[in-house]
Amino acid sequence: MTQHAQYADALALYALGALDDQRELAELQAHLGTCGECRRELEALRADAALLALSAVGPQPPQRSRERLMRAIEAEPRREMRPKSRVVLGRLRSRWLSFAPITVALLLVMISAALVLENYRLRNRNVRLNAQISTEVQNSAHARAVLEVLNSQTTQKMVLVAAKERPQPQVKTIYEEEKGRVLLLASNLAPLPADKVYELWLLPASGAAPMPAGIFKPDANGNSMMLQTMGSDSIAAKGFAITIENSGGSQTPTSPIVFAPAG
Amino acid sequence: MRLSGTQVSDPKNERALIARIRAGDESAMSDLYDRYSGIVYGVALRVLGNTMAAEDVLQEVFLQLWRNPQAFDAERGRLAPWLAVIARNRSIDVLRKRPMEEDIDELPISTGVNLEDEASERMAIDKVRGVLAQLPPDQRKTLEMAYFEGMTHTEIASKTGEPLGTVKTRIRYGLLALRKAFS
Repeated sequence: MTQHAQYADALALYALGALDDQRELAELQAHLGTCGECRRELEALRADAALLALSAVGPQPPQRSRERLMRAIEAEPRREMRPKSRVVLGRLRSRWLSFAPITVALLLVMISAALVLENYRLRNRNVRLNAQISTEVQNSAHARAVLEVLNSQTTQKMVLVAAKERPQPQVKTIYEEEKGRVLLLASNLAPLPADKVYELWLLPASGAAPMPAGIFKPDANGNSMMLQTMGSDSIAAKGFAITIENSGGSQTPTSPIVFAPAG
Repeated sequence: MRLSGTQVSDPKNERALIARIRAGDESAMSDLYDRYSGIVYGVALRVLGNTMAAEDVLQEVFLQLWRNPQAFDAERGRLAPWLAVIARNRSIDVLRKRPMEEDIDELPISTGVNLEDEASERMAIDKVRGVLAQLPPDQRKTLEMAYFEGMTHTEIASKTGEPLGTVKTRIRYGLLALRKAFS
């Protein structure tokens, strides 16, 4: 563990099933997939944890528990008792008997080959899974970094426009239809009275009525970001629009559209 | 560990016992119960604090081993710690109202602890209790919350008000203290 001290505490938690930080868990599992040293340490920690059970030994179960178990076992479907190996040589013809070692050897070769192939397949699967986990961890870290920058109160958000022009209000929506998620990024929005909010509307491609897609208010600089999950099956959108609604939002637009799809 | 009965639990006997169970020998199951019901029941009772619930876990653990004796690999570990881990995990499932798994799929546990006769077992139990008694109370409590109450490190930190890092370190050092005592 000397080379992997950063995983030491997490490994101990993992051995007890007490690690619930999903990021840490994913990183540790990815690392365990490639590090034999940490896998051995995990096994040792599990053995250490098992020793804890000894501290609970003392009370004995009542006799009725034994009787209950044995009754349950008797009621289980009966398993065949394997007969003691007893080869009756006299019933085998000698020429068949002479083939027996060859047959057994061939069977063993076939079983060994099957096991080797299975082992190879499992190893490949393991490698693929580890690679997938690593990729997911990297993607997750990247997405988290992007969100941290977007959400941070200390970052400077600037919009660049053509020189000598006043910054114009701008709203961008990024819609993931399959998962019903929409990300909104807005800048230079006009401030609103305390009892008003901006409300985003999804305009279905089918021509159905606009669907509420989240409410938001700009910060002091006129910026806003919102990630909204629509919570229903995927809906094809021909665009998004924004109105100003009373605080808490509305189920249908009640005021003129202030932002509409460009073009 | 009062494994009940006078038979010792050496690896050779364990292998023979499991072989008999695999062959469908019900009397082997009876022997197994006599040897290991103490530890399974003790752990379940410690986790659940209720004799009826502990008896249910005891029944479930042994019945699953009867149904699937292949789950235990005598070449890779010893029965006593393996059953202890299964009993602990099943009890935590009950405590947390999680559905029980159909199969027992815990990995065999390989400890270097000598449990081959009653005197060794008694010594091992005393040693574990001695190690726990010597741990600082907060550390012992943290370790027990994780092991016997099945709490995650976040839950423990939330309940005790300790920083997450402190909880993690206490658990690791607690386990390492046990390892050191038996090394």
